[in-house]
Amino acid sequence: MQAPPSHRPKLAARLADRAGRVLQFLWSGWAGLAGLCLLAALWQAGHEAYGPFILSSPLATLSEIGALAADPDAWAIALLTLQRAVTGFALVSLVGVVLGVTAGYSPATMRISIPLITVLLGVPPIAWIVLAMIWFGGSDATVRTVIVVAALPVVFLGAARGIATRDRGLDRMAEAFGAGPVTRFLTVGLRQTTTTLFPALALALGTAFKVAVMAELLANAGGIGGALADARINIDIAQALAWVVIAVALLLIVEYTLVQPVKGEIERWRHAAQPWGVKR
Amino acid sequence: MTVLSLSGIGHAYLGRSVLENIDLSVAAGEIVALVGPSGCGKSTLAHIAAGLTEPRAGRIDRGYLRHAMIFQDPCLMPWSDAADNIAYVLRLSGIRSKQRQNRIAEVAEQVALEPDDLIKFPVELSGGMRQRVAIARALAVRPDFVYFDEPFTALDVALRRRMQDLVIETCSASGTAGLFITHDLHEAARIAHRIAVLDTRGHGVVGERRLEGDPASRSDTDVFRWVQQALTNDALFRHIHDVDERQIA
Repeated sequence: MQAPPSHRPKLAARLADRAGRVLQFLWSGWAGLAGLCLLAALWQAGHEAYGPFILSSPLATLSEIGALAADPDAWAIALLTLQRAVTGFALVSLVGVVLGVTAGYSPATMRISIPLITVLLGVPPIAWIVLAMIWFGGSDATVRTVIVVAALPVVFLGAARGIATRDRGLDRMAEAFGAGPVTRFLTVGLRQTTTTLFPALALALGTAFKVAVMAELLANAGGIGGALADARINIDIAQALAWVVIAVALLLIVEYTLVQPVKGEIERWRHAAQPWGVKR
Repeated sequence: MTVLSLSGIGHAYLGRSVLENIDLSVAAGEIVALVGPSGCGKSTLAHIAAGLTEPRAGRIDRGYLRHAMIFQDPCLMPWSDAADNIAYVLRLSGIRSKQRQNRIAEVAEQVALEPDDLIKFPVELSGGMRQRVAIARALAVRPDFVYFDEPFTALDVALRRRMQDLVIETCSASGTAGLFITHDLHEAARIAHRIAVLDTRGHGVVGERRLEGDPASRSDTDVFRWVQQALTNDALFRHIHDVDERQIA
C-alpha cells in the first residue's frame, strides 16, 4: 500500500530547521556580547577616574568572581538566591496567570481588581519586606512573599490583557466547529494571552531576582543579599561588585535558558512574518 | 426533506429588536441565499441558525448531521500553519491523527492548495489563499450543511469569482446544503437555488424567488439577465441596496 501523503517535512529536515534556529539564536549572542563589552569599557573608565576604592576595575572584579567560584560556600549562597528567585517567580506566574485569566474573562472581576492592583503598586516593596519579616522571619517565605507581591501586578495585567483583547472571531470559529468552552479556552484563549504575557513574565523574572537580593539584604536572610551586606560591612567594593555581577549572570542564565526559548518556539509565526533582512 | 428550519425567530441587542418573526427553511442539497441591505440582521440570523447566538424567541430544527461555517474574516489561528488550522477542526470532530493527514491532503487538493502552502503561517498567505484555507477547513469535516457568513465580501472581484466557482463545484458535487449570507444579489444568483430577502429592519423574510436550474449549470448570461430583471421589475428587491450607516449589527 502506498504511504499516506503527508504535508509534514521529513524528520531530518525538521531537525535541520530546529538546529538552524538554535544556531541563529546563539549567533545573535554576539550583539549582546558587544553591548556588554561597551559596559565594561565605561566601567573601566569610571575606575580609572575615581580609583579602586570607589570602583574596582572590571578585571579585579572578574578575579574576585574567580576566587568566589573556587569557594563551595559561595556556590551555596548563589544557589540559595537562585532557588528563592525561581520558586518565587514560579509562584507569582501561577497566581498571576490564574487571577489574570479569570479577570480577562469576567469584566466585573477586572473592574474590581484594577483598583486593588493600583493599591498593590502604590505600597512600596520595602513596606512588604518589613511585614514579611514580621510574619515569616528571615526565611525563604519572606523572600517569596515579597517577590509575589512585587511582581503580581505585572503578570496579572499581562494575562488579563491577553484574554480581554483576544480575537473573538477565533472563539466563534472554534464554537462553530463544535468546541466547548473548556476546549476553546485551552486551544484558542490561552494561546492568545502569550503576546502580552511573555513580556510581563520576562519583567517579572527580573523583578524576582532584584527583589530577592533586596529582601535578603534587609531581612538578613543569607543568600547574595546577605553576602552583599557582609561586603558593605568590610567595605570590600570588589566583592560587592562581584556579587552584583553574579546576580545579573544568574538572571541572564535563567532568562535565556527558560523564558526566551519558550517564547521563541511559541512566537515562531511572528518570526515568519518578518522580511528576511530584519530577523533577530 | 428539510435540513434546516427556522420558525418565528426573534432577537434583540440591548433591548433593540433586530430580528422578528423569521421563518426560513432549507431543503437537503439546496443552497439558499439570504440577501438584504447591510445592517438588517442577516449575519445574526446565520449565527442563530448555527447555534452561536441564542435567539430571544423562536424554534430551530436542524436535520443535518454536521455543519461547518465560513466567515467573512478567514478566522485562521495565526500561530498555526495552514495544515494545522485544518487539523484543528478535524481534531475537534474526533478524527485520529493519521486520518487527519490524509484528509488534509484530500481537501487541500480539492481547493488547489499546494503542499508548500500548507506549511505556511496565515501571515505568509495572501487574503485569497487565507480564504481558500478557510474553505478547505470547512470542507475537511465533511459537512452536509455549510453556513456562509458573507465569506467573499473582502475579496476583489476576480478572486471572488474563483471562490464562488469553488463553492458551486464542491457543493454540487457532494450535494451539500447551505445558507449563504450576502448583500450582493449577483453573488446570490450565481450560487443559490433559492434567494430569500430579509426585511430592511429584520421584520421577517419578505419573500423569496427560486432560480431556474442548478447553480453549476447556470451560465453567466443567465445570471446577469436574471439580476437585471430582478432589480428593474421585481418589487421584492427594491430595497436591497439601501444603506443605513447608523445601524449597527
